[in-house]
Amino acid sequence: MQWTLQYKETWLHRLNPSFKLVFILALFLLLLFVHNPNFISNVTVVPFILVMFATGHRKKILAILMIPFLLLFFSSASSMMFFGQGTTTWWKWGIVHMTEESFFRGLHIGFRALNFALLGLLFALTTRPVFLFYSLIQQLKVPPRFAYSFMAAVRILPVMMEEFHQLRAALLIRGIKKKKGFARIMQSVSLYAVPLLSQSIRRAHRIAVAMEAKQFNNKERTYYYKQTLSRVDVYFLIYITIGFSLAYWVGTTFPYFDLTDVRN
Amino acid sequence: MKVGVSNLRVKYAGADTLLFNRLSLEIKEGEKVLFLGPSGCGKSTLLQILSGLIPHAVPVPMKADAKSIPTSSGVVFQDPDSQFCMPYVDEEMAFVLENRAVPQPEMEGLIRHYLEKVGLTFKDPHIEIGSLSQGMKQRLAIASMLALEPDVIFLDEPTALLDSAGTSDVWKTIKLMNAKQTMIIVEHKIDEVIDFVDRIVLFDSEGMMIADADPISVFSFYKHKMKEYGIWYPGVWDEHAKEKKLPAPYVKGKEILEINQLKGYRGKIPKIEVQHKTAHEGEWIVLTGKNGAGKTSFLLSLMNVMKTSGKKRVMNKELKTIKASREQLAFVFQNPEFQFVTNSVYDELAYSLEMMEDIGVEQKVHQWLENYDLKQVRTLHPYQLSTGQKRRLSVGTAMFGAQPILLLDEPTFGQDARNTFKLLALFEQLRENGMLILMVTHDEMIVRNYGTREWVIEEGKLTVDRDLRRREERQHHAVDFTV
Amino acid sequence: MKRLKLSDILITIVIALVFGIIYKLWGPVYNIFKPFGLHIGDVIYGMWFIAGTVAVLLLRKPGVALLAETAAASGEFLVGSEYGLSVLLYGVVQGLGTELMFALFGYKRYTAFVAALGGIAAAVGSIVMDAAYGYVMDLALWKLLLLIGARLIGGFLLAGLLAYFLVEALEKTGVTSLIRPASDEDYKALDQ
Repeated sequence: MQWTLQYKETWLHRLNPSFKLVFILALFLLLLFVHNPNFISNVTVVPFILVMFATGHRKKILAILMIPFLLLFFSSASSMMFFGQGTTTWWKWGIVHMTEESFFRGLHIGFRALNFALLGLLFALTTRPVFLFYSLIQQLKVPPRFAYSFMAAVRILPVMMEEFHQLRAALLIRGIKKKKGFARIMQSVSLYAVPLLSQSIRRAHRIAVAMEAKQFNNKERTYYYKQTLSRVDVYFLIYITIGFSLAYWVGTTFPYFDLTDVRN
Repeated sequence: MKVGVSNLRVKYAGADTLLFNRLSLEIKEGEKVLFLGPSGCGKSTLLQILSGLIPHAVPVPMKADAKSIPTSSGVVFQDPDSQFCMPYVDEEMAFVLENRAVPQPEMEGLIRHYLEKVGLTFKDPHIEIGSLSQGMKQRLAIASMLALEPDVIFLDEPTALLDSAGTSDVWKTIKLMNAKQTMIIVEHKIDEVIDFVDRIVLFDSEGMMIADADPISVFSFYKHKMKEYGIWYPGVWDEHAKEKKLPAPYVKGKEILEINQLKGYRGKIPKIEVQHKTAHEGEWIVLTGKNGAGKTSFLLSLMNVMKTSGKKRVMNKELKTIKASREQLAFVFQNPEFQFVTNSVYDELAYSLEMMEDIGVEQKVHQWLENYDLKQVRTLHPYQLSTGQKRRLSVGTAMFGAQPILLLDEPTFGQDARNTFKLLALFEQLRENGMLILMVTHDEMIVRNYGTREWVIEEGKLTVDRDLRRREERQHHAVDFTV
Repeated sequence: MKRLKLSDILITIVIALVFGIIYKLWGPVYNIFKPFGLHIGDVIYGMWFIAGTVAVLLLRKPGVALLAETAAASGEFLVGSEYGLSVLLYGVVQGLGTELMFALFGYKRYTAFVAALGGIAAAVGSIVMDAAYGYVMDLALWKLLLLIGARLIGGFLLAGLLAYFLVEALEKTGVTSLIRPASDEDYKALDQ
């Protein structure tokens, strides 16, 4: 989400947000039905190139944002690798049971998770929330009451971050006897969550009243930003189609794994 | 456009009694009316009823025999940080125009038009609202209200959360608008409003109307009421000065604070730098300077909450940790709510004592409840107190030990006159007993009347250190009151 | 049934976005626990259902749980969740789980018991999604049972009891008087 990150606007920022959302959702569903590990590992390159070279963000920031992805890759993959079912045992040690089937299944899940992560990051890095919500109203007929509430709520978040810093300083100065174990969780809830939430609930209420005072209602309205489809949307479509086809062709012609369906 | 109600009654959920038991009021077209009264008397509620927000947007139980509510009205609220729903200035203005279904091509011109009306001229109005000063935000709120082209304008304490510069900025803007519309105003600082309105309606604490007349009459007959209600009326500081004699030439006590090459960092960036300073018992040092200059950072550095370099000593003891600072410095935060960690006023005061395993907690706490005038509310949740009570409680929670130094971050901000004077009296008493006070403030009158010394902070550096002679040249600042 | 007012929607979404950020931060926490802990780590999965229960306990209106959990997931997605768009689908299904529980009690009961059921129902929703999504059924049976058990306990503890505790603490601050409708007695008092 783009409050503070410095970036250059690229063609990906000019995509129609609703189109981008629906299209990525479609890719997501498509990937769910892919069971060929050769294909899915190749396909990862397609969103990766876009994230690295076409989002307009600095490489350092991108690298930081992608650290959790690696963790995710290993954690999604390993859980299936070490404990899955299968017939060709590679390794068995106590409850750990690694089979050929479970290994590839794990790898597959890892790559798929990586793909979802990259596509999600691609969207997040190139979409201004305001344009997204305008587009959701205009293209996907989301009721304005929900869309504008979202935009207003997004505005409150940085204020909350500032309040969080103040709260932390105040509690440090006050001095807190830290509790242990489960009581510690309860303590942080009452020390942090309660003040921050109660402040933002009151703030949200005041904003809602102010919006109604500005005669926000369900009547006919016009729009400051007009979101339309354009040429760049076609480029995006073409890039993905070619990328996916290429990944499939390479995956079937030069397979790394002699296995085409991880379910078997 | 006429506005009014007859036989109005309102019931807040859980309250025992009705508010405005059968109140009737009529406001003529083009009239500029000011509602005055103590906080909690319901004047903002009445404003919201007359604007139609209650019960349409806020469902408060209410009834009236007859109501005339304007079909087109605009409201400006008090909090600059919670009346916008969009991130940028132009988008917020556009939001109003969209609501009115103005065709898109006309928007850009209209946005400029309305912004100019409140003196906001940007080269490109696509500016983050968050980057504006609080006073500018309120002017933006006025501009977006004007974009509704309302018949009746409602102003609900538009300057309550602004410093004095922001306050006069906003009122200058409103006066320059030269609006023909009916205006209904709730305001607690009336210096600049009183020559603007045609009529004042004065309420008591139960929401009963006790006066309804032109400003001169109300002001001359009910000044004692205004004082009781804590309203900032013209000349209130002069009266206060006459009543409360301050020992003018103070005696410097022994040196207790020494600062040497102090720097406070946020991340790697130094936010505040102080070369060498010492301060003594019984001094009242006011820290002044623009917003963001580093005043709060200075206090936080003393508390070791920020990363610091250099030295700070209190009575020759170096403060290296938060704990060490806490034992020497009592800190009162800008937002009192964040300092509260328990569910009742009593527990709040007892908390720090219990942490120090003090015996005789009960006795001390009862004494404090007395001192800070919080006895009646001792079982309430701290959040449910009035703003004045919250502030007094936060002072109480900070001063659990016998710390020799009191740090205050804008403690009188947003307080009414009565609470302000009450707090100042409390601080003055502490100072007389030898406490050293360091106080961030934007209030020129406090600087002039109470400070004994002023440290000006500019762009992260303490640049000016001057002795103040209390109360001199005060008459020079008295506000002339002519209507 | 009462329609949601603008302030109900805005408050729900604000709460949801706050949890959305917590959800995002929760990802790495969960991923560290997951591979080693034999799915014991799935107890903390329950945090991902909390927005729905908190919001409906606060606002006490139909539709709030679903809206909150969906909005929280959108927030998580918009800050660049490593789970990508899948969080949106999970959010909807989990929110539906909680929503259904409160609907079952006619939106009349907002007790710790119903909250706990709401949390568990959300956990069931997440397992259903997992089944459709992640070869979960291919796990060894004992593992699968552990996962389901841990997930349900997580829903019960975090999305149920912790949410209830949080809302109770918020009620003490008096903020709920802003958002809950006034009683009939208050209206009657006007006519006396």
